[in-house]
Amino acid sequence: MKTELRGNSKHTSLPNPSLFNTTQDCLSDALKGCLGSLDGACIEKLLLHCASALESKDVTLAQQVMWVLNNVASSVGDPNQRLTSWFLRALISRVSKLCPTAMNLHVAPTLQRTWTRSMTGTELAGYVDLIPWHRFGFCASNSAILKAIQGYPSVHILDFSITHCVQWPTLIEALAKRPEGPPSLRITVPSCRPPVPPLLNVSSEEVGFRLANFAKSRDVPFEFHVIDGSSSSTSSDVLSWEFSFQFELFLGQLSPSMLDLREDEALVINCQNWLRYLPDEQWGNSQGRSLRDEFLGMIKGLNPRIVIMVDEDSDLDVSSLTSRIITCFNYLWIPFDALETFLPKDSCQRTEYEADIGHKIENIIGFEGFQRIERLESGVRLAQRMKNTHFLSVPFSEETINEVKFLLDEHASGWGMKREDDMLVLTWKGHNSVFATAWVPSGIED
Amino acid sequence: MTVSTASGEASVSSSDPEAEVIALSPKTLMATNRFVCEICKKGFQRDQNLQLHRRGHNLPWKLRQRSSKEIRKRVYVCPEASCVHHDPSRALGDLTGIKKHFCRKHGEKKWKCEKCSKKYAVQSDWKAHLKTCGTKEYRCDCGTLFSRRDSFITHRAFCDALAEESARAQTAVNSNAEEDTKLQIVATSSPPPPPPPPSTAAISAVLPIQNPELPENPTGIINHIPATTCVNGGGSSSSVFASLFASSTAAVTLQPQTSAFSDLICAMARSERPTNLPPASATEPASLCLSSNNGSSLFAMAAQDRRPYSRPQQPGMSATALLHKAAQMGAAATNASLLCGLGVALSSSSSGQQESLQWNHRMEPESGQVEAGLGLGLPCNVGAELTELMMGSSSLFGPKPTTLDFLGLGMGGGGAPSGGFSALITSIGGGLDVGSTTAPFGGGNSPGRRA
Repeated sequence: MKTELRGNSKHTSLPNPSLFNTTQDCLSDALKGCLGSLDGACIEKLLLHCASALESKDVTLAQQVMWVLNNVASSVGDPNQRLTSWFLRALISRVSKLCPTAMNLHVAPTLQRTWTRSMTGTELAGYVDLIPWHRFGFCASNSAILKAIQGYPSVHILDFSITHCVQWPTLIEALAKRPEGPPSLRITVPSCRPPVPPLLNVSSEEVGFRLANFAKSRDVPFEFHVIDGSSSSTSSDVLSWEFSFQFELFLGQLSPSMLDLREDEALVINCQNWLRYLPDEQWGNSQGRSLRDEFLGMIKGLNPRIVIMVDEDSDLDVSSLTSRIITCFNYLWIPFDALETFLPKDSCQRTEYEADIGHKIENIIGFEGFQRIERLESGVRLAQRMKNTHFLSVPFSEETINEVKFLLDEHASGWGMKREDDMLVLTWKGHNSVFATAWVPSGIED
Repeated sequence: MTVSTASGEASVSSSDPEAEVIALSPKTLMATNRFVCEICKKGFQRDQNLQLHRRGHNLPWKLRQRSSKEIRKRVYVCPEASCVHHDPSRALGDLTGIKKHFCRKHGEKKWKCEKCSKKYAVQSDWKAHLKTCGTKEYRCDCGTLFSRRDSFITHRAFCDALAEESARAQTAVNSNAEEDTKLQIVATSSPPPPPPPPSTAAISAVLPIQNPELPENPTGIINHIPATTCVNGGGSSSSVFASLFASSTAAVTLQPQTSAFSDLICAMARSERPTNLPPASATEPASLCLSSNNGSSLFAMAAQDRRPYSRPQQPGMSATALLHKAAQMGAAATNASLLCGLGVALSSSSSGQQESLQWNHRMEPESGQVEAGLGLGLPCNVGAELTELMMGSSSLFGPKPTTLDFLGLGMGGGGAPSGGFSALITSIGGGLDVGSTTAPFGGGNSPGRRA
């Protein structure tokens, strides 16, 4: 994206060109090519230089770059400016953490409100409708599930996602219309979810209640469960535990008994925007496997009919800060660009949606270690990981493809879809945004 | 292996160094129907289409074979310099795509839908819209209209209108007073204001008459599931994962931690439950949650002051001037940080208030003075954060090693920050002329006017 200088076409001419040749001024050297316009490519360069400055602890350069970025950034400008504003915030967050003394900064109320604002169910329904970013995965998943459970009288869905079950009403509707009559449907969700937006203002139980009501209205037998894995621990103990230990408990929730798996039930596992929150580092207890792999191994062991994996198609888990910043910038421009096409600059919905992306950016760039919970890997890498865990990929049917196409046609032009092997990828102006895949356990063990 | 997309645009990765970047002129892109049939003068966008048409006239036709040595992929950039797709890393993968894009984005929108007044630059887009506009409308009981069916369905499931309806239905059922497994609803009779009382946690509407495994006890589902609790009463929402994954109930009470991450979770967990975000805050997200144990907000956002469009227009700085200034500041700054100047500059701008006072008023919470002065399109009150950090380094942390620059990194060189700081303020504060970031560049007379 480019942000061209507007207004006077005549730019201030450089009063003292030689100033930019001083070797002490890394900034000007670095940005010589950008003179005259600060476009997307230049912003990228600026970010790059800020990143490497941070990595090499060159405070002066980092500050210089951030000063310039600050003059580019605007949360209500064009997509480049908006994106830059969130990047800048993330950089500041990162830089602030370098401060050895605990700065007594607190979340000012408005941002805290923005980032921790919780929506009602209907607001969330509208949120996922703004762009097909989430609905793409819902649509592909529901269609694949419908096919996989053909002939089964009972279905049990394990739902691992961050969107609070807004996926399921359309499935319930589709099940209600099944020619042979609806199966009985059970949906189980874990008791926890990553602390990321979008947040809902009601509990999972309340969500289940709503779904149950809806299912009843469509005459679909329905149950909803929240897995409760807590044992005797109190919350205060919990907080002092190691992060990985808590994951162990999470995994403990995934046993057949905890999940109350039943015979003759088609088990469906739906993972959307979930796997990226499971750490991929080698994990103490488990023969060199990471927690992410351990999770996959466990769900495979549950012998599901089908496993749906949907996530964003980018590699944002690399250890190099510079790579992450650049990759992030070259990926997250997509939703900003999409929102620009049909929502005005001062739209609250748009700003909130962008703020949620900003939250993600802040985590990716501003944090390290276990605090950096966003560890996204691209579809290609996920596919390899699934294969390594002895899953077989299942192609999406033509019906599914048509349904997805139909969905995309209802949105702004620019959204498209393509197939890469068995993977479906949502594209915006040809650029990959979200991938959807389906898997079954391969039954082949080494 | 890729297949053409629904929108007709071939795929392209964000940066494919091997691709040949092609920039066509606007005239070429706008030209439709360059390929004209000699017989009937009908025009076609592509040569292939013309060739196929020629068959109809019994003319010789020839479809060009796809070149087998497709060495370099071609990507197309938009000639409009201000456009996002002017940048090769945002190029589009096929000719049709870039042509459509150019017409849609930069062309005149001459096709208009009469029903909803939407305008389209590309005729096929307009036609496609006509097919669906107003044809389907779904209305929820609450009055909201939807053009898309799945939007309607999803909304309906979460809409209070449905809950009320089912509550009415249930009241009718209960009045029949049967222990009939036919229609057992484990639900409170009242429309559910969140959250429902734990003991009756209305989790399951159990209608599984056919399923023999399920107990007939109306609340049996809850009791009979081993180790699975349908009811998450208030207490158990403080599950073991509270610190890791904040429950969406936000009912968790977490002990304050020193890490930023935990604080973020605290912020999440303690999220207020307003469902309406005041517009002011929506446009001006504020500062970060950084490591903090105390709840006092040193810099509250006076969000009303931050509305970008009300910001007085400053003559903007060109990119060149910006970089020049940055370089100057970098060269001038020794131990005092650049961004000290930033904070000062911002505060000395639009509102005209002398913000040096703010250093003394630092401890006053909810001070609006800071915000007023910093109102230059800082997306998130960046200036306040920076100011805070500066102040922190210069006065709050006076007793600390004086080599701390504003970031407290201790790497900025020696010297007393406060001394260098005031020198920097003097040298920069008066002179720096930072434009509104709604029009950061150029003459400052076109805020927000972008491609």
